[in-house]
Amino acid sequence: MDRTSKTHVCPLLIACFLGFSLGAKGQVELISSDTLRIDSLRMEEIKIGYAVGNQQTLSGAVDKVSEKRMNKGFVTTPLEALSGQSAGVSISSGENRAAMLSSVRVRGTTSLTGGNDPLVIIDGVSADLSALNTIYPADIESFTILKDASETAQYGSRGASGVIEVATKKGKSESFRVSYTGNYGVQSVYKNLEMLSADEFRAVARQLNMDILDLGNQTNFPEEITRLGVMQNHHIAFGGGTNTTNYRASIGMMDRKEVVQNNAYQNFTAKVNLSQKAFQDRFQLDMGLFGSLQKNNYLTDEQKTFYSAATFNPTFPNHRNPETGSWDQITNASQITNPLAWLEVQDDESNAHFNTHMKFSLLLNRHLTFSVFGSYSYNVIENSQYLPTSVWAHGQAYKGENKTEDLLGNMMLSYTNTWGKHKLDVLGLAEVQKKILTGFYTTVTNFTTDQYGYNNLQAGAVRLWEGTGSFYESPRLASFLARFNYVYDGKYVLTANARADASSKVGENNRWGFFPSTSLAWILSEEGFLKEVSFLNNLKLRAGYGVSGNLGAIDSYNSLQLMKPNGVVSVNGAPTVTMGVIRNANPDLKWEVKRTFNVGLDAGFFQNRLILAADYYHAKTSDMLYLYDVSVPPFAYNKLLANLGSMENSGVELGLGITPLQKKDMELNINVNVAFQKNKLLSLSGMYNGQYMSAPQYTPIASLNGAGFHGGNNHIVYQIVGESLGVFYLPHCTGLVEQADGSYRYEVADLNGNGVNLEDGEDRYVAGQATPKAMLGSNFSFRYRNFDISLQINGAFGHKIYNGTALSYMNMGSFPDYNVMKGAPEQRIKDQTATDYWLENGDYVNFDYLTVGWNVPLGKLKKYIRYLRLSASVNNLATITAYSGLTPMINSSIVNSTLGVDDKRNYPVARSYSIGLNFQF
Amino acid sequence: MKKFSLFLYISSLFLLMGCSKFLEEHPRDQISEEEAFDTPANIYLNTVATLYNYIGGNSDSQGLQGTYRGVYDLNTFTTDEAMLPTRGGDWYDGGFWQGLFLHRWGTNNYAIQATWEYLYKVIVLSNKSLEILQTLQKQYPEYELSPYLAEVRAIRALYYYYLVDLFGRVPLVLSSSTPMQDVKQSERSEVFRFIVDELQVALPDLSLERSNYPGDYYGRVTRPVAFFLLAKLALNCEVYLHDRWTTTARPDGKSIYFKVGDRYLNAWQTTMAYCDSLTVCGYRLSPAYTDNFKVYNEGSEENVFTIPMDKNLYANQMQNLFRSRHYNHAKAYGLGGENGSSATIETLQTFGYGTDSVDTRFDACYFAGVVFDFNGDTVRLDNGTVLEYLPWDIQLDLSGLAAEKTAGARMKKYEVDSQGTKDGKLSDNDIVLFRYADALLMKSEAKVRNGENGDSELNEVRRRVGMPERKATLENILAERQLELAWEGWRRQDLVRFGRFTRTYSSRPQLPQEENGYTTVFPIPDNVLTLNKQLTQNPGY
Repeated sequence: MDRTSKTHVCPLLIACFLGFSLGAKGQVELISSDTLRIDSLRMEEIKIGYAVGNQQTLSGAVDKVSEKRMNKGFVTTPLEALSGQSAGVSISSGENRAAMLSSVRVRGTTSLTGGNDPLVIIDGVSADLSALNTIYPADIESFTILKDASETAQYGSRGASGVIEVATKKGKSESFRVSYTGNYGVQSVYKNLEMLSADEFRAVARQLNMDILDLGNQTNFPEEITRLGVMQNHHIAFGGGTNTTNYRASIGMMDRKEVVQNNAYQNFTAKVNLSQKAFQDRFQLDMGLFGSLQKNNYLTDEQKTFYSAATFNPTFPNHRNPETGSWDQITNASQITNPLAWLEVQDDESNAHFNTHMKFSLLLNRHLTFSVFGSYSYNVIENSQYLPTSVWAHGQAYKGENKTEDLLGNMMLSYTNTWGKHKLDVLGLAEVQKKILTGFYTTVTNFTTDQYGYNNLQAGAVRLWEGTGSFYESPRLASFLARFNYVYDGKYVLTANARADASSKVGENNRWGFFPSTSLAWILSEEGFLKEVSFLNNLKLRAGYGVSGNLGAIDSYNSLQLMKPNGVVSVNGAPTVTMGVIRNANPDLKWEVKRTFNVGLDAGFFQNRLILAADYYHAKTSDMLYLYDVSVPPFAYNKLLANLGSMENSGVELGLGITPLQKKDMELNINVNVAFQKNKLLSLSGMYNGQYMSAPQYTPIASLNGAGFHGGNNHIVYQIVGESLGVFYLPHCTGLVEQADGSYRYEVADLNGNGVNLEDGEDRYVAGQATPKAMLGSNFSFRYRNFDISLQINGAFGHKIYNGTALSYMNMGSFPDYNVMKGAPEQRIKDQTATDYWLENGDYVNFDYLTVGWNVPLGKLKKYIRYLRLSASVNNLATITAYSGLTPMINSSIVNSTLGVDDKRNYPVARSYSIGLNFQF
Repeated sequence: MKKFSLFLYISSLFLLMGCSKFLEEHPRDQISEEEAFDTPANIYLNTVATLYNYIGGNSDSQGLQGTYRGVYDLNTFTTDEAMLPTRGGDWYDGGFWQGLFLHRWGTNNYAIQATWEYLYKVIVLSNKSLEILQTLQKQYPEYELSPYLAEVRAIRALYYYYLVDLFGRVPLVLSSSTPMQDVKQSERSEVFRFIVDELQVALPDLSLERSNYPGDYYGRVTRPVAFFLLAKLALNCEVYLHDRWTTTARPDGKSIYFKVGDRYLNAWQTTMAYCDSLTVCGYRLSPAYTDNFKVYNEGSEENVFTIPMDKNLYANQMQNLFRSRHYNHAKAYGLGGENGSSATIETLQTFGYGTDSVDTRFDACYFAGVVFDFNGDTVRLDNGTVLEYLPWDIQLDLSGLAAEKTAGARMKKYEVDSQGTKDGKLSDNDIVLFRYADALLMKSEAKVRNGENGDSELNEVRRRVGMPERKATLENILAERQLELAWEGWRRQDLVRFGRFTRTYSSRPQLPQEENGYTTVFPIPDNVLTLNKQLTQNPGY
């Protein structure tokens, strides 16, 4: 009974939290020198969804990125750690952290309504990307990415857009250990927009005989808003255990001051995992607790920030007007504001996550395990914003809070047996999930002083009716899953999943969705005729087909006709709130369905010093949820959420791992992954319940903003049926033509021969796509004795970027109210018609980071310090591109209003330098 | 082990049965229709009052006036009254405003489509309200719902009036469950007759109260509002009854008859009769022209139908002053501005701007030359020079010219609410949709068209603003309508009625084939035609 006595060692821990985790085969060890190697194709146990298998007998498209493959350099979030490491997983890097959160795509965009974010599962708990980003990267043991429906089908409707499973580190049955990981770095701008300096500004105005407002200063506003960024991370973890009890606990903090003033992020995390086995290891109890608090200081309206900084009159001072005590503004330039005044806007977010989960597993006999899992997550996001009177007439404060409670419970029975050449795993699961989403917000205006900020809303006099509100939503999901995995002779693998999901969001008649999948694998290398081939270590062919469902990001109640407050009117002389129908309801709403076919090949040669993985997939989304245009009349509103259209995605993913050099003192590893993606919007129209519904032939996705760009023909990226999602549909510019006053205009071609007309369907053509056709991620690492060096290179190809920034800043028509770029006065363009003139090739290769590390030989100290590593990194080294704008790394993956358009909102390009220290006792 | 399997099986079964209940939605922040009509007070609120939320608006194309790119803009910036000139980087907006002014709005114009959808939204919601009221009336015969029914029918007629005026041939949809195959266009005359019939049927059940006074009927469609609308319909009936407007001659109002009460009157007599009804109801010209547009204009004896405005209570905005005034002019008020809309050369000429005989209303309607803040101090530009609006320098594209930012006489018509919020877009001046001076001018015009003398009504209007009398000729009446009703959104309809909409004027050439009058109605938007293949395009587009 020494086990019992062991548990008494830390009664407090046991009292507070219980037990710990199952199948924890991971290593607590930090980056060790010989592990910079692709680690697939081993007989390593891997957890895929609810099931546990091994890499060898896997038949779906699954990629596991363990700690060794995660990004080094200065990494502050899990998404940064994963970026570029897995083919088909795109994560936009760059400075905009908020954008990064919504930029993750597994095999592209497959739904128009939303739900394109991959499902995130953290230690079995369903979460989202925002929850993932609160985890400290050093707490993560591995990412497992399920790409094709044959594996994502386990998650049914939630997994339609791919699944990122995150396993966090657990304790190990070993003696007590403490480890520390820390980084410190600085970040500085190395490329910014080149606008006219104050002197040039004056000279150009003189030359053009234009009257300017000259306040006599020399201010470089794009530079004024920046600073030296400072970043640091610290993380301490300790853990230990016996054969029956394990624990691990960690705390971490991250602090990041970005290169643009007023933009900073902080994150504090704490995490505990416990595991207890009992009754001759037949019973196991795992528990995890996780808490985090993020504090974010955002730049409100990045476009306004950078647009204002670039174009604000450079003769204005970089300080407040000492006479008035406020910032000088340029009234003629109505679309911008004094950038330094704008930086005084407070836009803060505090985001608290809490999760606890527990799992009981009982080994009923040699073959049968029963488990119950329960999880509770609580998330509170508080947003506070204050727009001071200098930038907003009378000031405005906003305060809002969104709370999410997420309860998940499941029961699972799994059976595993091996007899003769047969191996069988069967699993049955029932699961329910309930979310409660509540929140409120209020907006207050008419402040007489900025002193209170958003901290005392009573300082504002006016609370408008539409500025205050609250909501309640409680979507639910119930599911059943059966999974079957059969291996014959270690050569033939068959996996089948069947999942049924029911959601409260769907109309009653279509509530249940059935999502089956199957996959096969043939391990050729185990066949007799290949066993003798000495250079071949592994050869496996895989094929799978599956159906998954998606409800996208639709809200509750879409299938019900409900009344909501729709405004205040005078009733009997008193202001009164009335109720009204505010959208068309669709009682026939059903699941969007995605069918995926996948074939793949895994191969390893020369003692796995050459590893190859290749996949081809084809996915078709049908019954696509979309806010279709419907005819008004008979409908009251012009949009109806319905299931109608279809879209096709296909692609090839290649992964290559080479170890050309492998000696005791030296090792070179090269890992390259390339993904080719193709997307086509097949249809967005048809008959639905006797009504013809469609999307317009040309639906703008991204448009230009700013002075003179409101409305009209300033749409750049479109959704066009028959094309890839997000294509540039633009007038063709044949060149610049000189005007009577010596200035130039963009000459627009009359493509359809009936006079120049910039409208959709007239003189416009599809000029390219906004999403890359190919994505590259590559890592080169070299070790010499205790030193190692690692270089990550990412790239994207085959897409275009619209340089709206240049279109705006090269337009002398906006001078002198708006400053222009160096070079604009010579070119003398006085036009901002959006044509293909500024459509540029978006191809780039980016040197993401370079890290040099030294695993300090400890000699005699090894008794006390197990491990010590020093490292230094440079992040965002350089970018090779033909693109003329600031950076080609804009939003080229997410279908939203910024897709493919570089429009005055880019962060200056910064490089960071950091040093890191890891040690373990 | 078997026991556990059984346990799992049973619990799954239990779960499955519990599922359907578990998966039911129980909305808490919205209510079902049954709950919305539980008391007579709520019936009024959620069938009738709810529709008044759409009369005004706060976003593009929503609301009858006060917002951008909607009914008002289509009636104003397409005419010789006003324009939104391109000012360098400002107001080009993809050629939208120039397109309106030049009548090159295209068949795929988003603003035109959004206006169509806005008008039909209110119509479909009105249909829904009518159906609910009819059902409830059957359920609760003791409730007195007929005034509600009449009011909703009148609201629906009002929206059909704007539709037929802008688009000509439109589908008459009278039920919220009209199947798609029944949504077909009616001839313009058919829609017109429907509107007149509906209003006449509704009249007796509508209250006689004034709508512009705060009180029980504030902002509502009451009988005087319907009188005004009927007068408008009759005055324009030659246009509305003209079904082949690009190929045939217009019918003659003298031979178009309406049943008014128990009399049969021709179009002009009908107009006069409904205008007289307003006089009988006690509508008068306000002593001062500007009283009707003051911050607190709810007491106006002249205003007939307004959009109630209250910066603290209602979301309705009035963006017309905001978008017109220069940035520094706005800043001097502590408000916002967008330096846009301006009077055209024709308007300046009509007002006699710059002559000795300038109309007194010019100063009431337009900012020109030097302007002042609330303290009487001159408004200056950022560089310290005096801001001076240059009315005669107006042209459609001002980019690069010295007067780029300052050309044009600006909108002044509504008193500036110094306490206005949202940059001054939220203010307390009620937006005037219908006004008695218009009724007088309608009557004058109807008389002249009927071969009678309309001098007295015309000159009643002119006397109030201290202008010398004029002979009531059609020419003078059209000019007077521009003088009196500047910035009130009537110019397009007036020009169409007078057959002048398609003519050439300064900086606007006539389009090819435009003399046939095809631009007098807007095209049915392409996207509307795509979604309902039974609809056909208006002639000429």
